[in-house]
Amino acid sequence: MSRLGLRARITAVFALGALALSASLASATYQLTRQSLLEERERAAVRAAYLDAAFIRTGLGGEDPDISAALQNLDTGELRRPLVRRDGQFFARTADDGLTSSIPDALQRLVDGGTPAVQRVPLRDSSAIVVGVPLPAVEASYYEVSPLTELERTFAVLATVLGLVALVTTVAGASTGWLISRRVLRPLAQVADAAGTIASGDFTARVARDNDPDLDKLAVSFNRMVDEVSARSEADRRFAADVSHELRSPLQTLSAATSVLDRRRNELDDRTAAAVDLLTDEVARFETLVTDLLELAKSDRPAERRPTDVVALTRALLTSRGLPPEVLDLSGGSTALDVDPRRFEQVLANLVDNAAKHGGGAVRVGLEVEDDRLVLEVDDEGAGVPADERELVFDRFARGRAASMRGGSDGTGLGLALVAQHVLAHRGSVAVLDRPGGGARFRVELPGESP
Amino acid sequence: MPRLLIVEDDDRIRLSLRLALEDEGYVVRDVSTAEEGLAEHKSAPADLVLVDLMLPGMDGFDCIRSLRRLGDVPIVVVSARDDTHDVVAALEAGADDYVVKPVAVKELSARLRALRRRASGSGEDAPKVLRFGEIELRPEAGEVLLGDEQVHLTRTEFRLLCELADQSGRVLSRQQLLDRVWGYDVYGDERLVDVHMGRLRRKVERDPANPTHLVTVRGLGYKLAP
Repeated sequence: MSRLGLRARITAVFALGALALSASLASATYQLTRQSLLEERERAAVRAAYLDAAFIRTGLGGEDPDISAALQNLDTGELRRPLVRRDGQFFARTADDGLTSSIPDALQRLVDGGTPAVQRVPLRDSSAIVVGVPLPAVEASYYEVSPLTELERTFAVLATVLGLVALVTTVAGASTGWLISRRVLRPLAQVADAAGTIASGDFTARVARDNDPDLDKLAVSFNRMVDEVSARSEADRRFAADVSHELRSPLQTLSAATSVLDRRRNELDDRTAAAVDLLTDEVARFETLVTDLLELAKSDRPAERRPTDVVALTRALLTSRGLPPEVLDLSGGSTALDVDPRRFEQVLANLVDNAAKHGGGAVRVGLEVEDDRLVLEVDDEGAGVPADERELVFDRFARGRAASMRGGSDGTGLGLALVAQHVLAHRGSVAVLDRPGGGARFRVELPGESP
Repeated sequence: MPRLLIVEDDDRIRLSLRLALEDEGYVVRDVSTAEEGLAEHKSAPADLVLVDLMLPGMDGFDCIRSLRRLGDVPIVVVSARDDTHDVVAALEAGADDYVVKPVAVKELSARLRALRRRASGSGEDAPKVLRFGEIELRPEAGEVLLGDEQVHLTRTEFRLLCELADQSGRVLSRQQLLDRVWGYDVYGDERLVDVHMGRLRRKVERDPANPTHLVTVRGLGYKLAP
């Protein structure tokens, strides 16, 4: 489960805080308002009921009083509804529409016992206040039912308004959180941007200083770190360039000078000629060694892929190594794929040279595209590579046991390591297999350009 | 015998290259600074120039630019630097070829021979005048006209144009062009082709950014469209 981002969490906290605050305020406001309105309404209902009860008592005062007339003469306004109970019977102005049943028994008992009482009761779709006033003088009791429909509607409106206010407050809280978090996280975003730029190799990126002392510390320490990394990287680069220059320059002199000697080999006596041969061979090997080492030192560079005619390149290389054109096996068809031509050429050259040195020469060079991967196979008919050495042959300065037993000392021991590195730069793979029919098969797979 | 000028500040490299290239049949003069090299070339023009990039005083890039202003002598950079940046900068400055030290004398000699070779389009059976829109190519006279104006091309640029004209309308891969123009028999630096093509376009195309004759065929190479 992925956790929410810092910004989302800050926003959520602000929103929840605003919601809790506004909801409790709204709820308290609603309760208090409701309470006081209800109490006021109750007092008004009680006052009105007493007045009406007095009027009824007067109306029932004489002999054989007309209860209906007394009720009809009562001025109760539109809402209050009077009831008179006498001799266990209710009298109302109109036909009973559930009014009498709404008067709770407990209230009736209280009133019958001579105690005035008031109670809030539920009505069909709202509620009402029932006030009961005993009229002992006329052996009756007076009830008045005041429906709270109006008040309930007011409460509903109030609740809606308060709910909306709470909602708006919550949204405002969330927005505030979002904005504040952006402000707070801006320095982090700048640091992230700068780090990305630096990772892509541009050491000039820096984070702008901030007025806030807390944030400024971040910017300053980040920039100091970049300065140091940049200085170290620059020093490394310069050292590598210096090493490269210091190694290449004397080799150029050696190479040119030995070629002068070699040209006059026939004019030399046998001993001197043998020495010149040694010199020429070793200078050539040393050249390859240095070039390979310097190439390996550039291991961090990505492959520079471009559309490459790998078939033409392979043909040219095989020709240069004196191999017959039949060696090239293109049975797989298409070979159109972007690769780094310089690296591909070195992979091929090193595998072919490796086959020549340790396997009696390449007998087949296969080239095809399989599932968007360029597959290169170099087969030889040598002794093959023992299973326990198959991983090791790609290590630096590793040379096959078979080769050392043969006393072979040519090669730099870096050729296959370079192959592995170039393949890695393409995010591909290389492996040694058994060639059907004997010998070794080096199989290289280079995936096409990643999306 | 072709006259070769070596501009190289390392005494030992300079001497060894001089000895080895004299063996290859060149008349070699060698100097240790770009300033001396320019003076030497002005007083007695060389047929080929080898230039190192890291030189005291004026650097190799400026040396190449100054030589280029004097004429179209083929220039080969022999440098210990193998950064793409340096290679491209040297070629943009006007170098014809670029080799990284240590280079075998045989290899260097082959490079130099290729640069001295005549354009293959200028053989005896070649037509006198070839036209590609506004571009008029006269292989034998070694002239190129854009409309009525004569265009000045270096020897390498001219050969590149001739090779494309020779196979007019057909695509030549960078590898083929390297082989034909620079004489690379094995894989060579394709940046050579791209940089020279850019320079050639700036000289013979009306709108070098949107070439109409020297066209890139993605994944394959270049062709000269009529």
